[in-house]
Amino acid sequence: MPVRGVVSLGSGTEAVTRRGQASRIRDIGALERVGLVVLLLLLSTSLVAPWFVVDPVIPVAPPFQAPSLQHVLGTDDVGQDVFSRVIFGLRTSWLSAAAVIASAIVIGGAIGLVAGARGGWVDALLMRLTDTFLALPGPVLAIAVAATLGASLRNTVIGIAVVWWPWYARLVRGEVRALAARPHVDAARLSGVSAPRLVLRHLLPGALPPVIVTASLDIQILVLTLAGLSFIGLGAPPPAPELGAMAARGADYLFASPWIPLAPGCAVFILAVAANLAGDGVRDLFDRS
Amino acid sequence: MTFTREGRELRALRGVDLAITPGEIVGLVGESGSGKTVLGLSTLGLLPKTAQIEGTVTVDGVEVNGADEATRRRLRRRSLGAVFQDPMTSLDPTMRIGRQVHEVAGSTAAVLHLLDAVGIPDAQRRLRDFPHELSGGLRQRVMLAIALAARPRLVIADEPTTALDVTVQAQVLTLFRQMRDEFGCAILLVTHDLGVASTVADRICVLYGGLISEIGAVRPVLDHPAHPYTAALMASRIGLDADRHSQLPIIAGEPVHPSSDIRGCNFAPRCPAATALCREQRPALAAVSQHDGLAACHFEAGQEVARRLSAVAGPWGTTTTASNEGGVSVRQLSVHFPGRRGLRRSKPFDALSEVDLSVAAGEAVALVGESGSGKTTLLRAIAGLQEPTSGSVTLGGRGRRPQMVFQDAGSSFTPWLTVGQHLEERVPHLPTAMRRERVSQALERLGLPAEVARVRAQQLSGGQRQRAALARAVIEPPDLLLCDEPISALDASLAATVLNLLGRLRRELGFAMVFVTHDLAAARLVADRIIVMTRGRIVEVGASDTVIGQPSNPYTQSLLASVPEVATCR
Repeated sequence: MPVRGVVSLGSGTEAVTRRGQASRIRDIGALERVGLVVLLLLLSTSLVAPWFVVDPVIPVAPPFQAPSLQHVLGTDDVGQDVFSRVIFGLRTSWLSAAAVIASAIVIGGAIGLVAGARGGWVDALLMRLTDTFLALPGPVLAIAVAATLGASLRNTVIGIAVVWWPWYARLVRGEVRALAARPHVDAARLSGVSAPRLVLRHLLPGALPPVIVTASLDIQILVLTLAGLSFIGLGAPPPAPELGAMAARGADYLFASPWIPLAPGCAVFILAVAANLAGDGVRDLFDRS
Repeated sequence: MTFTREGRELRALRGVDLAITPGEIVGLVGESGSGKTVLGLSTLGLLPKTAQIEGTVTVDGVEVNGADEATRRRLRRRSLGAVFQDPMTSLDPTMRIGRQVHEVAGSTAAVLHLLDAVGIPDAQRRLRDFPHELSGGLRQRVMLAIALAARPRLVIADEPTTALDVTVQAQVLTLFRQMRDEFGCAILLVTHDLGVASTVADRICVLYGGLISEIGAVRPVLDHPAHPYTAALMASRIGLDADRHSQLPIIAGEPVHPSSDIRGCNFAPRCPAATALCREQRPALAAVSQHDGLAACHFEAGQEVARRLSAVAGPWGTTTTASNEGGVSVRQLSVHFPGRRGLRRSKPFDALSEVDLSVAAGEAVALVGESGSGKTTLLRAIAGLQEPTSGSVTLGGRGRRPQMVFQDAGSSFTPWLTVGQHLEERVPHLPTAMRRERVSQALERLGLPAEVARVRAQQLSGGQRQRAALARAVIEPPDLLLCDEPISALDASLAATVLNLLGRLRRELGFAMVFVTHDLAAARLVADRIIVMTRGRIVEVGASDTVIGQPSNPYTQSLLASVPEVATCR
């Protein structure tokens, strides 16, 4: 039973009740909170990294040096600093995932919003278009894009983004349609609210929570997908620091210099787990009934 | 069977003692938030784990509170049955009803006997129906059959007829009495409707703010209430014989909040006869002179309060003389919904068939009918929210958009916007400062403090939400106000408050009104004319008192006969 407070207003005979909203952060589990903290740490580190670590693309020391105080994670086959490359790699991973999600929210959100709010043939047309894109296999499309336009991080991100937005379009459309059937939309219509205002003010904010939850859970999937594509060579060409490519190239030295492939591998692992836990935490935050 | 509950941490109940004897029907009455549902659930041992319960609940010699889950389950299976408000959500939608009853009854013969007993026609054929294939009344009968299948000692029925139409409600209520006679089980009937409780129950227990206010045999308690709250409930009941020319007597103030800490009598803040003693010392539940039951009032002030309330309820205020151009005329209006059964198209559903209706400026018309009669569809068509299949809706005067009050005021507010933002949307042409001013004025007109503008609707109490919804409708006085069952989900005192507000606003602002309801008494009270609808057609039109007094259509007569009435209290 939720605890509610009473706030007396005005004349004293009337009372307004407020639901305790400050306690929401407590609804997140301990593990999920750890995930959130780790994710935020990784993000902030990767954002400020360029000013603190050595250049990741030029050789700074002899190759194959074991981890030491000077090079925390040692150096790789050409003498680049592995720690610095992992930090930059994390940064690339995270930024690419964010780029895909941002594009998905913008494109998918707009299409879903229009389809859900208008309904009728507009809805049918937009949703069939969405279904078409949904049928494309993401990694395969990314390979095709890379094959035609050349392998680069940008092309990979475009390839993934093309197949990512339909999920958001369907999500937003479903939420908006459900909201549009509720009395508050009829009430707003009778209040004389204009169509754009109705959509942006009375419908859109209600569709945001599930979008945020999905986006936070998608970070992990995207980090793994992008690392996987980079591992098979669909990413920035060397010497750009990218976790998947680093793991792939370092695999040859797994036994002689294990830090070279393991450091980027573990970085992907930690980022993915943290993002997943954080996503769960965000979901708990919104899915309170 | 004894129930003792001393709720302190969880203040839904604040110390209730209630004993139900075998074969007895007890009506548990109270407004929303009085703790009546919590009492029912605690008997079933179904309260959430977070609830802290003090005291004991004993059913059939077994202590429910504190027993382990296995004991509770055995108890529920052997001695208890439950019927909830919405049978659609209580029945398993994927299971044929025969199997659902069979799970408890054990044999097909027993299932058939039970379904027969609860009055399901052609039970043999119905066995293979899914819940969605049954009507609301039949579903509730199936629920009752399941509840009775194990021959329980006690059935808890939580608002079992609230979701049903009046005619169906009357049948189900009769059924409860029959079942008690046939199966010999006790029934705890939880309801907010005094009429329902008085038709079925032997004893009535009035709950207020988690405490029993009054308990005793139904007739004596309702005829001569000793507790002011019972008296006030009786006074604010909307009866078919209520005086149309004066306001309804209502209890001012808000119900007890579960988190508040009260020292004295919990009704004292709202009681017109309260004294210093009432505020200091909580009255014990004790024998009273009026009847054989018990009441918790220092002064047994029921009669006194009833007198004061009706004295305060004055006639309607001044009526506006401003000529209003509202009104609406509906010509040959039909609305068909395309039917669909699986993948095949079936016959379209005629929600409205060639309806003619005209509402003059400033006139109040009530649309009465049961669910499926098309009354809400007609209202939505007038509002412009439902595209007519054929026919026309012509708004009178300048053709301004009508305003609407919805059944659930809370759901008519966008959850993430404040009340003030909703109100301001109706006057977008004004500069910001003027808009704020108008919002405060509108809230004040409805008796709400200006601070309400800054909160969201779900932070308000039920009564405040209804007022806020009305404030939104009249911030810019409409020519036509449409009301969709605005009181059907409210308890007696809130319903009376809303009807008073509507009556006052209409007289002050002079708008025309179309009031959709299934409640004939409320219809008579608010409207000049009553229109009775069934199956998408109008079957009777007439002045309110004529339709109620001398109904000419058999359907209207059957509606009237089904209204659960309470003998008037003097």
